Amino acid sequence: MSQPSIERGAAAGTAATAARRYPIEFTAGTGEYFRIWIVNLALTVVTLGIYSAWAKVRKRRYFYGHTRIDGEGFEYRANPVAILKGRLIAVVVIAAYYGAGHFAPQYQILLWIPIIIFGPWLLVRSLAFNAYNTAYRNVRFRFEGTYKGCLRVVLTRGWLVLTGILYPYFKHRMIRFVAENHRYGTARFEVADFKKPFISAYANAFGLGILLVGALAISIIWVGTIRTKSPLLFVGTIVLFYVGLFLLFAYIRARTTNAIWSAVRIGPMRFEPSLRARDLMWLYFGNLLAIVLTLGFATPWAVVRAMRYRASKTTAFASGPLDGFAQAEAQQVGAAGEEVADFFDIDIAL
Amino acid sequence: VIEFDAVYYDGRTSARTPVRVRGYTLAIEIAAEGLRLEIPLAKVRVDPPVSGTRRALHLPDGAQLQTDDHAAVERLFPSAHAFEGWVHRLERRWPYALAAIALIAAFAWWSVVDGLPRAAKIAAGFVPVAVEVNIGEQALDFFERNVCQPSALPPARQEALQRRFAALTKGLDDGYAYRLLPRACRGIGANAFALPGGPVVITDALVKLAQNDDQISAVLAHEIGHVRGRHGLRLGLQAAGLAALAAALFGDATSITSLATTLPTALLQSGYSRELEAEADDYAFERMRKVGLPPKAFAQIMQLLEKDRASKTGGTSSDYFSTHPATAKRIERALDADRSR
Repeated sequence: MSQPSIERGAAAGTAATAARRYPIEFTAGTGEYFRIWIVNLALTVVTLGIYSAWAKVRKRRYFYGHTRIDGEGFEYRANPVAILKGRLIAVVVIAAYYGAGHFAPQYQILLWIPIIIFGPWLLVRSLAFNAYNTAYRNVRFRFEGTYKGCLRVVLTRGWLVLTGILYPYFKHRMIRFVAENHRYGTARFEVADFKKPFISAYANAFGLGILLVGALAISIIWVGTIRTKSPLLFVGTIVLFYVGLFLLFAYIRARTTNAIWSAVRIGPMRFEPSLRARDLMWLYFGNLLAIVLTLGFATPWAVVRAMRYRASKTTAFASGPLDGFAQAEAQQVGAAGEEVADFFDIDIAL
Repeated sequence: VIEFDAVYYDGRTSARTPVRVRGYTLAIEIAAEGLRLEIPLAKVRVDPPVSGTRRALHLPDGAQLQTDDHAAVERLFPSAHAFEGWVHRLERRWPYALAAIALIAAFAWWSVVDGLPRAAKIAAGFVPVAVEVNIGEQALDFFERNVCQPSALPPARQEALQRRFAALTKGLDDGYAYRLLPRACRGIGANAFALPGGPVVITDALVKLAQNDDQISAVLAHEIGHVRGRHGLRLGLQAAGLAALAAALFGDATSITSLATTLPTALLQSGYSRELEAEADDYAFERMRKVGLPPKAFAQIMQLLEKDRASKTGGTSSDYFSTHPATAKRIERALDADRSR
C-alpha cells in the first residue's frame, strides 16, 4: 500500500493558523425529500418490499449528494441489486433467529452466542460495505478493520457491557476501532485520544440520571400524599421519565459526537464539531412530537432537520489543499452483512 | 453536438479539473488546458438522476465527470435508466406525492384494521399448542407470584365452581388443558382472565358479586372463548406485526425518535383487544346455549360488573382507555342472543 501523497503537515498548533475553513453544507430541502420519501415508500408497498433496495439507495444518494464540503457532494455508490440480495439473506437469517427463539424458548439464553460470534463479523462487513460505497471527489472511503480485530475487542472488553456502569469503556474502545480503521483513499483516519471527554459525557449523564430518578421518587411520594390512586400520577411519571431519557440521550449524543470528531484527522483535514445538548434535546423532542401527531408522515422532515443541524454545527479545517488524496485499490464487499446488521441495529455511529 | 461544463477526476487522486465536454453520436470529448480525451459513449456509465444533486458519469479506469447540466446528460444518454428516470419524474411533482400519501394511508389503514388481525390469526395457527402452553405458564407464574393468592372461598364452594367449569369444557377436543383457578387477587377487583394454553383465573370478588352460578358460568364461557380463539397469542403477534410495520414505514429517523412510532401502536392495541372481546362474547353465547344456559346471565353479570366498577372509581362509565367495549353494547348483544335462543 502506498503512503498518502499529502504532507503530514506541521503540528496542530502551527497548522491551525494557516488552515482553511470548510463549513459542511447540507442543502437538502424538506419538501423535496418528502416527495422522494413518500414516492419511494409507495413503490416499496406496491412491489411488496422488493423495491425497498432501490428506495434505500435513492434516499441515501439524495442525502450524500446534498452533503457538501468545498462545494463538492458525497456519492453513495451501492448497487440496489446487491442490497436486494443482502436483504433476502437478512430475511432468512432473521426468520431463523427468531424462529429458534420462539419455538425453543428454554434455549433463549443460548441465542447470545451467535450474536457474539457473528455480531463482529456483521459490523465489520457492514462498515466495509458502506465505506467502499461512499466517495468524495471520486475517491472512495474504505474500512480496513478485520473480523479478528473486532472480535478481540468484543472478547476482551465485552464483559464491561454486563457491568452496566462500565459500558462506556467498551463503547469507547469500539468507536476507536471503527474510526481508526477507516481510510479515505490511502489516507488513514488518525484518531487522537478522546477517552476523557467521552467517558466524562457518560459519567455526567449518569449523575444527571441519578438526580432525575431522585426527583421523580420525591415527586411521586409528594403527589401520593395528596391524592392517592390517581391515573394522572402514573401517566405523569412515565412522561417525566421519557423527558429525562431524552435529556440524557441528547446530552450523551452531543458530547460524544463532539469528543469523537474533534479527535479525528484525515490527512490535512480536521473537524470542529459544536453540537449542543440543549439544541439536540429540543430537536429530538420536536421530532418526536411531530412524528406522533402526524402518525409518522413527518419522518422525512425530522430526518432532514436532524441532519441539517448536525452539518451546521460541524466545520472542517484543512491545512493544505484537498487535491492530494490518492485512490487506493479496494476489494468490493457484499451487502448481506450490512442488511443483517441494519436489522439488528448493530451500529457504531461516529 | 451536445456541449456542457463538468469537473473531471482522473480516478487516481481527488484533484479536480474543470473541463468542457463535447458529446457526439458515438463518443465524448473531454477538453481542458493540457488535457484532451476521447471516450466511446459505450464505455461511459451514467448515474440515475437524483433531485438537486450533481450527475456523475463514470469513465473507464475509475475516472469520473460530474456536472450540474442534467439536460445535456439526458440528451446524451436518452435511454439510460428508463425506470429510475420515471421514479425521478414522480418524485419531482406534488400530485404524485399526494397520491403516494393516499396510497400509504390506505395501506396502513387496511393493514391495521384487516390485514394484521387476519395475518396474526393465520400465523397463530402455525404455533404449536406446546409453545402457547409455555407462554401461558410464564404469565401465570407472574400472577401467582406478584398479584394472586389461593382463594379464600370454602372448599365446597370451590368444588361447585369446578363442576360448573367442567360442564362448560366437557367435550372440547382442542388440545388445551383447561383448568379453573379461583384466586384472591389484589388490585383487580371482581375480574376473570384467561391465559394462553388453558388456565382461567377467577377472583373471589367476582364469585361474591354474582347473584347466581349461571352468571359465573357466563363469565367462564367468555374466558374459554379467549383460550379457544388463541387471543393471547394473536394479540402478541398483532403487536409484533404492528411494530414491524411501523418500523418498515416510518423507521428511518434516529432510534430515540423512532420511539414515537411505538406510541400510536400502543393505542391501536386496545382496539384489537376490543374486537377479541366481542369474539369471546359470541363464543360464550353459543357455548351457553349448547349446555342449556341462558345468555341473559351474561347480560346480568355485565351489568353487575359495570355497577361495581362505577361505584369503586366514583366516576362515570365513559372509560376512554378501557380495553372493554362499551358495556351497554355487549349487554345488548347478550340479550339479542338470549331472544334468538
